[in-house]
This record gives sequence, C-alpha cells and structure tokens, in this order.
Amino acid sequence: MSTLTTTKSPAIIGGTKHNKVNWAKILSYAVLIIFAIIYAGPLLMLVNTAFKTLPSFMKDAVSITDSLNFKNFVDAWNKANFPRYLTNTLIYTVSATLVYLLTAVFVAFPIARGYVKHANWILTMFVIALFLPPALIPQFQLMLGLGLYNNPVGYIMLFLTNPIGIVILVNYIKSVPKELDEAAALDGCSYFRFVLSVVFPLIQPAIATVAVLHAIGIWNELILPTIYLTSQEYYPITRGMIVFQGVYGSNWPTLAAAVLIMVLPMLLFFLLLQRYIISGLTQGAVKG
Amino acid sequence: MNGYYFGQGRARWSPYLLLIPGILIYFLIAMGPSLATTIYSFTNATGIRGAPIQWVGLDNYREFLFMGQASLDNIAALGRTLVFCFFVTTIQFSLGLLVATLVNQRLKGTNFFRTLFFMPVILGAVIQGLIWSLFLYPLGGPMAKILEFFGTSSEFFGGQPSEAFAWVIAVQIWANMGTTMIIFISGLQTIPSDMYEAAKIDGASSWQVFKNVTWPLLTPSVNTNLLLNIIGSLQAWQLFLVLLGYRNGTQVLGYLIYATGFGQTSGSVTSSFRQGYAAAASIILFLLVLVLGLTAQTLLARREKRILG
Repeated sequence: MSTLTTTKSPAIIGGTKHNKVNWAKILSYAVLIIFAIIYAGPLLMLVNTAFKTLPSFMKDAVSITDSLNFKNFVDAWNKANFPRYLTNTLIYTVSATLVYLLTAVFVAFPIARGYVKHANWILTMFVIALFLPPALIPQFQLMLGLGLYNNPVGYIMLFLTNPIGIVILVNYIKSVPKELDEAAALDGCSYFRFVLSVVFPLIQPAIATVAVLHAIGIWNELILPTIYLTSQEYYPITRGMIVFQGVYGSNWPTLAAAVLIMVLPMLLFFLLLQRYIISGLTQGAVKG
Repeated sequence: MNGYYFGQGRARWSPYLLLIPGILIYFLIAMGPSLATTIYSFTNATGIRGAPIQWVGLDNYREFLFMGQASLDNIAALGRTLVFCFFVTTIQFSLGLLVATLVNQRLKGTNFFRTLFFMPVILGAVIQGLIWSLFLYPLGGPMAKILEFFGTSSEFFGGQPSEAFAWVIAVQIWANMGTTMIIFISGLQTIPSDMYEAAKIDGASSWQVFKNVTWPLLTPSVNTNLLLNIIGSLQAWQLFLVLLGYRNGTQVLGYLIYATGFGQTSGSVTSSFRQGYAAAASIILFLLVLVLGLTAQTLLARREKRILG
C-alpha cells in the first residue's frame, strides 16, 4: 500500500521545502524504487502465478491473471500433504524453542550474575562454538549410535542449543538490577522460583528476540531434515516443499500456490515481530 | 565479591544444578561433535550403523587433495567457493551500504523499503529458491522477458554451469543483503547528527561528508559486515541444493561435504556416506574459513586502529 505514497512523494518533498527540484531526493527514490522492484517483483510474480490456470501460464507466463483461481490452493493443500508437514514443523519448532529457552535462561542468568564460578570462562566456551569446525558428521554418528536416526525426538534434540542466544540473554540480564535478587531472597523466594517467576517475565524482550531467532532457524531448516528424517510422515514443511517441487515442478500455478501457503504465515509473523528479529540479528552480529 | 542471596550450604548448589542441562546439551550436540570432526577426518567412518571404523591417518586428506580426477574436481570446488565468496561479499557489502545510506535519510516510506529489503532473510533457502526459480522461468518468465527486451537471453539455472552459478550468486545476494543493510543502519544511527551539521556548515558536499564523516565512523559495522559476509558465503550452499542440485561444474565445498558424507545427490555423481572423507573435507573448509577470517580480522583491526585511533 505504501508504495503508492512513496512513488509520488519525491516531487512533493522536493517542491515544498526549497521550492526547487531536489535532485538528491529524486535520485534516492529512483534507486530505492529499482531495488523495490527487484525485491517485490519475484513475490508479485508468485502471487500472480498462484491465481492462474496452467494453460494460461503456459500460454503467457507473465500476463496478469484474469481470474482469481483458488483451485490451485485447494489442490496444493490436498496434494502437498500440507497439514501433516505444517503440524510437524510446528511441533519441532515450538518444542525445541521452549526447551532451549528454559535451559538457556538457567545458563545465562548465573553467568550474568556471577553466581557460578568461572562465569566468564563458561560464556567464552559457548562463544567458541561459533569458530569451530562444523559438527555435521560426528553429530550424525552420535544420533546413529543413540538410535535416534529418523526419529522426531532425535531431530528436535539437534535444535536444543544456540550460543548466540546465550550471549544475548546474558547481556540483557546484566541490565536487571541485582537488588531484586536480594529482596526476593529476603522474602524467602528460592533460586529456582526466582528465575522462573521473576527473571523470566522481566527479560521478556530478550526472550522474544532469542525465541524468534531460534524459531526461524528451525522453521527454515532444510539440510538437517534431509539428513535425519527418512520417513515422509516426519518431514517438516521445508522438505515437504522439495518433495512437492519434485512432483509438481512443471505445474507452476499449483507450486506457486503451495509456496504462497508457506510464505503467508511467515510474512505475518515477520511483520508482527520484525522488531525482535532485527534486534536479535544486530545483537548477534555485533557480539558474535 | 559476588554476593549470593539464595541461601548457603545445599541451597548454594541450585544455580549449578540448573545450569547443567544447558551445558550438557551444548557439549553433546555442538561442542563435542564439532571437535570430533577432526578425529573422524582420520578415519574411514561410514554412515552405516555398527560398521567398523578404522584409523586411516592422512589418507582422506591425501585423497581429497592429490589423487586423480576427483581431487581436481575438489580443487575446482574449492576455487569456486572462493569465487562465490568474493562476488557475494563485495556485491552484498556495497549494495547493503548503498541501500542503508538511502533508507537512513529523512525520506517518506523508508520503513517500507527497509521491511521489503529485509524480508527475504526470514523466508529461508527453500522459499527464496522457489520464488526465484519462478521469476527466472526460462520459457517467457519475467526475467526472460526483461532480457529479451535488451536483446539477450539466458537459460538461467538450466544453462551452462558458469551461467547457473552466476544466477545463484545473484539470488544469494538478494536473499541476504537485508542483514548487511540492517547492520549498516544500526551503525549509521550511532553517528551523532552534529557531525553532519558541522560538515554541512563547513560547506562539504554529500560525497565529502560520506567520505570524511560517514565512512570512517562506520568502521565497526564495516568490519562486522565484511567478516559476516566472508564467513557466511564460504559456508553457504543451501541455495545450490534448492536451485541446481548437485551439478558438475557448480559445486562448492559445503555442498561437496554434504554430498560425500550423506550420499544425497541428484545427479549421477554419487559417493555414498563416506563420512571420514567428508569430515576431512569439512576440516579443509574450516581451515579456509579460519585463514580468510583471521586475515580479514587482522587487516580490519589494523585499519580500525589507524582510523579511529
């Protein structure tokens, strides 16, 4: 919607302020609009194709659709086994993120407070993981040895750790005043209850950031499911999409509808939580 | 030093006990396997459960680098990884900086542009890949039409290996420029506005302001972005999987490791589950990342010291 206003504004802005043409602004908008086309173009193509019929796509791939053909979505939903894949992805993402967060806060809190010996050393150990060789092969051998190959529980286990999240949590917890600990302890609150019922709610922004960052990673993961999950009933949506592409690769309208079904919840999620995603990325980048 | 308020004696153990699960998982899933990659690289491990694993010394490395046609292919993949890294890093860095400076101005609609450019980052390789397969549909898709207008054409991902490779570079940059942009924007916002005003009073042109104020003060984000781009692009290969499959003449090291280790190839080249060999390849990639990363880090730190004192 806002593209409409932006495309019109250069002339208006340029004209009102100094009453002369502001070339810098016009040039800025021109470049931004070129980029906007490169970024929005592929998405618009996707939406357009998803509403077309196959014959009309074959005849002219880029013509604007003349009908709102919802049949593609119905087809994609039924044939792509979407309900199954989406449920799997949801289960993997939610359970791994919850367990991770629970353990991560209990790691980050005592480190931030210095309640355990060698707190800085422990934190360094987490950061080091970012600079070590990839764990792919031994991880596979481990899962194989534990009998967790092609097993949803084993698959979830792979996502129970995330060093950057620990760093973000530690930094945030440092801004929570330590007097709270003292006051709560004086009131007879135990360590466990304090972390769970006082710290968790207080660090909500950091938790949201880490949760969103972690969840996006699991949601989009493609490599690990192709390695660890062989039964189709366990496939997450990413792997399911690849399978669907293999079968419907030449039927772009149906494939586009399937992609759109997968994109829409993510876009919604992104627009709602953009703030947390961006703060997570910048913090992770600067600290990592 | 650090007062602990939640009791002494047994109660003092709570933080330790509750810390253990997180640390254990981390060692089991991340740190341990990561270190074990080195050990596996000296064995002939396969992906078959219960199969014996033997120590083979440096054989995997020797085979990877110095034995016959396969090692020539491996070296070619290594070179391609560097080419990929070079183009992705330089282009993504430059475009990210350009776009960040543009949307950081006081213009209407900058939020919209920012959101739009960042959006692909969260979509993930599968969607990024599928969206571009459609946009680059060779039989009259949008890009084919655009190229036709300019009197040229391309077979895109189905064309010559070098051509397909170049398109993957383009998609990779499209997909990740948003991150570079966001880091530059957060850097730009730390530059105090009176610096700009002072420069303007001195009559500096926009280019002079950028060269003498923005660029030097942006050094921390420049460093972060360069390092992230170099390391990230050396390790990136998911788009190759989605867009091209394991095609000769297009493989990069990351994909090669996956294909040799897990035997999941879509072409005719299959080497099934040679995990010791794949571990050796991982270590070679790791060393590449380490050397390039450390070199960049050293050069950037020296530059930062010179500029910011």
